[in-house]
Amino acid sequence: MERRAKKMLPAVSPPPAVDSADYSFAIEYHGPPVPYEIPEAIPIEIERIPVAAVAAPSALPDPLSLPVVQPLPSPGPLKKPSKSGRLAADPAGASPTSVIENHAAMDRLDSVEVSGEVGSSGVLESAGFPDRSAELSEGIGSSGAVGFSSELKEGEGFEGFSEGIHSSGVLGFSGEVKEGEGFEGSSEGTGSSGVVGFSSEFKEGEGLEGSPNDMVHGRISTESALSSEFDFRSSASGDDEAFDTQAKKAVLVTFQDSAQSSGSASPAIGLTPRGRMEESGMRVPKGACYRCLKGNRFTEKEACLACDAKYCNGCVLRAMGSMPEGRKCVSCIGSSIMETKREKLGKSSRMLKRLLSSSEVQLVMKAEKDCEANQLRPEDICVNGKKLTQEEMVLLQSCPCPPSKLKPGYYWYDKVSGFWGQQGHKPDKIISPHLNVGGSIMRNASNGNTGILINGREITKVELQMLKWAGVQCAGNPHFWVNADGTYQEEGQKNIKGQIWGKPTMKLLCSVLSLPIPSKPANPSGEELDNMVNRAVPDYLEQKTLQRILLVGYHGSGTSTIFKQAKFLYRSIPFSEDELQDIKLMVQSNIYNYLGILLEGRERFEEESLAEKRKNQQLRSSGTRNKELDEHDDTTEYSIGPRLKAFSDWLLKVMASGNLEAIFPAATREYAPLVEELWNDAAIQATYRRRRELPLLPSVASYFLERVVDISRVEYEPTDKDILYADGITSSNGLACTDFFSSQLAADGSGNDDADQQDTLLIRYQLIRLHAKGLGENCKWLDMFDDVRLVIFCVALSDYDEYYEDANGVAINKMLESKRFFESVVGHPSFYQMDFLLILNKFDLLEQKIDMTPLTVCEWFDDFDPVVSRHHYSNSRSINNCATMAQHAFHYIAVKFKKLFCSLTGRKLYVTLANGLDSDSVDVALRYAREIIKWEDERLVFSSSESFYSTEPSSYSP
Amino acid sequence: MYVAELKERHMAATATVNGLRERLKQRRQALLDTDVAGYAKSHGKTAISFGSTDLVCCRTLQGHTGKVYSLDWTPERNRIVSASQDGRLIVWNALTSQKTHAIKLYCAWVMTCAFAPNSQSVACGGLDSACSIFNLNSQVDRDGNIPVSRILTGHKGYVSSCQYVPDQETRLLTSSGDRTCVLWDVTTGQRISVFGGEFPSGHTADVLSVSINSSNSNMFVSGSCDATARLWDTRIASRAVRTYHGHVGDVNAVKFFPDGQRFGTGSDDGTCRLFDMRTGHQLQVYGQQHDNNDNDVPIVTSIAFSISGRLLFAGYSNGDCYVWDTLVAEVVLNLGTLQNSHEGRISCLGLSSDGSALCTGSWDKNLKIWGFGGHRKVIHSLR
Repeated sequence: MERRAKKMLPAVSPPPAVDSADYSFAIEYHGPPVPYEIPEAIPIEIERIPVAAVAAPSALPDPLSLPVVQPLPSPGPLKKPSKSGRLAADPAGASPTSVIENHAAMDRLDSVEVSGEVGSSGVLESAGFPDRSAELSEGIGSSGAVGFSSELKEGEGFEGFSEGIHSSGVLGFSGEVKEGEGFEGSSEGTGSSGVVGFSSEFKEGEGLEGSPNDMVHGRISTESALSSEFDFRSSASGDDEAFDTQAKKAVLVTFQDSAQSSGSASPAIGLTPRGRMEESGMRVPKGACYRCLKGNRFTEKEACLACDAKYCNGCVLRAMGSMPEGRKCVSCIGSSIMETKREKLGKSSRMLKRLLSSSEVQLVMKAEKDCEANQLRPEDICVNGKKLTQEEMVLLQSCPCPPSKLKPGYYWYDKVSGFWGQQGHKPDKIISPHLNVGGSIMRNASNGNTGILINGREITKVELQMLKWAGVQCAGNPHFWVNADGTYQEEGQKNIKGQIWGKPTMKLLCSVLSLPIPSKPANPSGEELDNMVNRAVPDYLEQKTLQRILLVGYHGSGTSTIFKQAKFLYRSIPFSEDELQDIKLMVQSNIYNYLGILLEGRERFEEESLAEKRKNQQLRSSGTRNKELDEHDDTTEYSIGPRLKAFSDWLLKVMASGNLEAIFPAATREYAPLVEELWNDAAIQATYRRRRELPLLPSVASYFLERVVDISRVEYEPTDKDILYADGITSSNGLACTDFFSSQLAADGSGNDDADQQDTLLIRYQLIRLHAKGLGENCKWLDMFDDVRLVIFCVALSDYDEYYEDANGVAINKMLESKRFFESVVGHPSFYQMDFLLILNKFDLLEQKIDMTPLTVCEWFDDFDPVVSRHHYSNSRSINNCATMAQHAFHYIAVKFKKLFCSLTGRKLYVTLANGLDSDSVDVALRYAREIIKWEDERLVFSSSESFYSTEPSSYSP
Repeated sequence: MYVAELKERHMAATATVNGLRERLKQRRQALLDTDVAGYAKSHGKTAISFGSTDLVCCRTLQGHTGKVYSLDWTPERNRIVSASQDGRLIVWNALTSQKTHAIKLYCAWVMTCAFAPNSQSVACGGLDSACSIFNLNSQVDRDGNIPVSRILTGHKGYVSSCQYVPDQETRLLTSSGDRTCVLWDVTTGQRISVFGGEFPSGHTADVLSVSINSSNSNMFVSGSCDATARLWDTRIASRAVRTYHGHVGDVNAVKFFPDGQRFGTGSDDGTCRLFDMRTGHQLQVYGQQHDNNDNDVPIVTSIAFSISGRLLFAGYSNGDCYVWDTLVAEVVLNLGTLQNSHEGRISCLGLSSDGSALCTGSWDKNLKIWGFGGHRKVIHSLR
């Protein structure tokens, strides 16, 4: 072993010299010269780092002494005092990143001019390394990830600012700012380090213009120096002395940009939106970049959509990061955009196009358009005096003719004709009619004074003019009823009087009056509501409106049948061509499987009967052995011919090697006639008659075996029933999911009023069916489903007397196995507070077998003792009033599971009954699932008591 | 009678195998007189010391709306593909931290993704039991999605990890919940060989990860829920070359040591281990003593070695990301306590091919790129 370790050592690292070993983890290279370029970092000469000038004390306005924030005691992990001490001793060890340390070290040495010195990542960048690795590490200097920023609230004037300074100063001195806490009017997002770093120069322009001279030198972002300084300070926070000197210096430091942390910071850091600063009196040199403070108004810049901070070519990528919501500063992510910029959404600038590749720009623009934070908020839109809800908003925007360039404001909408306009103005657009958005239209919606009403709205003079040109009789202030197609009638009369858009000149005239004309649907989706399924829902809404339901159960619990039923019930095209092909293959390979089981059984039966025969023979012909007879009697009714025997041996061999799927689909072509012959063979038929003795043969096998001749043909097409009976959904055991809309669930259901439907129209349900094995060992992958709304757990009621053999050959009750699986799913941490619906499946099989096998054979159910006696029970069946034995069993099992669930989670378990092969019962069960989700939604809304609904399983008994 | 006899013999054989395994274990124990850390310490090696700014987060890749499950770098080191529960693969430019491609997946439950050696296509796999290949150059369809260029079907369980064979663009290796690993020919979509499954000496539980030996791409190692790692030779599919015991939980991650003679594993038991490929010995355990002996030990989700092999990066389920010194088996840095660290479980991590950056993916929906910021020897030598 020692030798082994020795061998390994040199490969890892040679015994390094003690002094250098501390920092190097790469070994020094002594080999032959390499052909490729080695990434390297160029050391920085401290002296050449441009520094910001120290502000002249006279430049400071007298009454407002610059506020200084004392560093707060920083959290422990950052402490590295020993290291900085070491560095102080050797400040020359300059690497691009050690600038911070050096800088800090010099600070500690108390050299005054250091206070304004700039060491930053910007240096690295300005060095213009051709090497990419350098670029990757370029954020390092800044990365110390200093959380600090002082931000001034938008819309506050000068007073607000000074107040902010004051308060922040106070805070700084008192040192009571907690991390991440924003304090009133002055600073927010102090960053996780708990250090409030801040020193803002808020002087007039000339004082500043002097200082940038140095700063501008070599594209350096001064703020990062400060930030690194603060970083250091936080890391060296153990040292009180250091604090004091730092604090003193901070007074002198005049980084006007100080509030901004460095570029590649994460959103955890509150960067200061510069625009707000500007509004509040803080001045960035006019037209300069908000980050590097260079450039003038003519340099090209990109503005943040949310705060209007403008960044130049070199800074935009660092200020905006990976732009998950488009062009926004990292700190603005999540906040809504400025309304004036809405038109720019998704329209790329030349600068971005130059900086990024076209596919990158495309994705940024897509994110900008589609992300949720950039959307109009529904509460900002008021239609007919009512604020919109999220659903209405979507309805409005996704209709065939949506109002274009929607802005926050008050609108009126004529639902009958589709006229749309701003409150108090003439119509400016005809959008899709009959959208159920907003309140009902008011008479004075467009502020008309003509006395003529269209659909209850008094029209404006311009409209009246239009009507006159259209040849509509307007004498006597009639009240019109205008339909979407332009036909109109007088209120209270049935006959249509005419068509407004009848004359071709009308459209021209309307444009003269700047009145809207009916437009062609912008979204060519045709019938708006029928097409809900195919309509593309915006991504940000998809997450909201999609309700995921997970369907799991132990192997054989019928989850696949329920899933397929759901597809048949709620999808117009239940299975695609590919899926059908897959199912066909699956059915065909299953039938070979069944045949194999039969053939295996046949061999066994043949052996048995042969042995029997020999025994009889020996009894009969003991003594007089007839060789000829012996030979002749070797065949029994289970014997098959040599050709079939060969096929049988081959099939069994293939099955034993586990490669049954590999022979498909070639097998169907080749062996279809053979299968027919085999099936019609008397021996197989004899075996089939004894199928009860073959435990491996599933109960559905006979359904398929009886049609084996059809199925094994190449041209076989699975029928709906075949699909339903087939074992599984896909041959790969993979996850299967299907979408359907609540409208489809409710379409044939009773008791759903229209308003209710309208409300939930957008909700899409996704039923996810997962094979028990697909969750991995110990439900390892269940954490992928923590976003589901409801888990449907399936248990086959007929499992109570069924067993399977595990790897060690021990027979295990399937019901107990189901229970174990149930426990591990319910107890999984990602399903904390999840709602569960238990479907007790295969009730029909329970009914069949409960009389033959008592429920108590399963040890979990050993105290099952129905109230009805045997005697009573036989009576009750004829009366049909009392519950049958099977129903008693169902209730009993349901209660068992409920108690189990309650003991695990302390909550209620929903239970329902189903019979997978009966589509109605599955429909009822899935409706129940949807009801549960709705209850939960309502419970969230009203936070009403739990006794609001009943969870009695009996209400769902058949 | 016939079956019963077979069963009996099977039981007897199993007992023999277990007995032999036990003896092997004891023999190994006897031979294992030291471990790497003990040896290194006895030679006066000390742990690398890391300052809090030596490894720093220099990019945050935001854009996923779900938990990130997997990531992979391109060989030319500036691009990353990541897979997330939001049903998207995103290809990132690591330098600008911009997205270059966003691929919507047919099946949202994706577990793994990989970049092809030529950087032109990406592969991903997940609970749909299939491995989908996307060609990044193919024309986008009407909705702006990149169509699937090929689907590799044949697994009977989820696809837990995939990796391209480094020097062969057309070969892809996958591991699956059906206890097998499969080598695929991507151009034809056919399986070249299946490792494990019905064959003896295969994994007896779900295979969770694979790693191909960078110095000999015929060899790969797989980690499984049966708490073992197995070494395979792609030319001999019939049996595993060697089985490595040691872990007491699912082996979530395996990764070859840069020299190709050793490999590391990360497991549900909260430890990483270093195994010698040829002898089958466990060289070192990287784990911390958890004083509270409950079962809340954070599990290792993903591991990676630095280019020299001196550092082992390990992501944990509690959001920690330890940097282990492989020689002395000490934690030299915890990325989880640095500024700007992830807020959720670290689910995946990977080193760029030149070793200049580490990328971590987390359940907090973000990826972060960490750059080495410490002193480097090369700097001193230049001065």
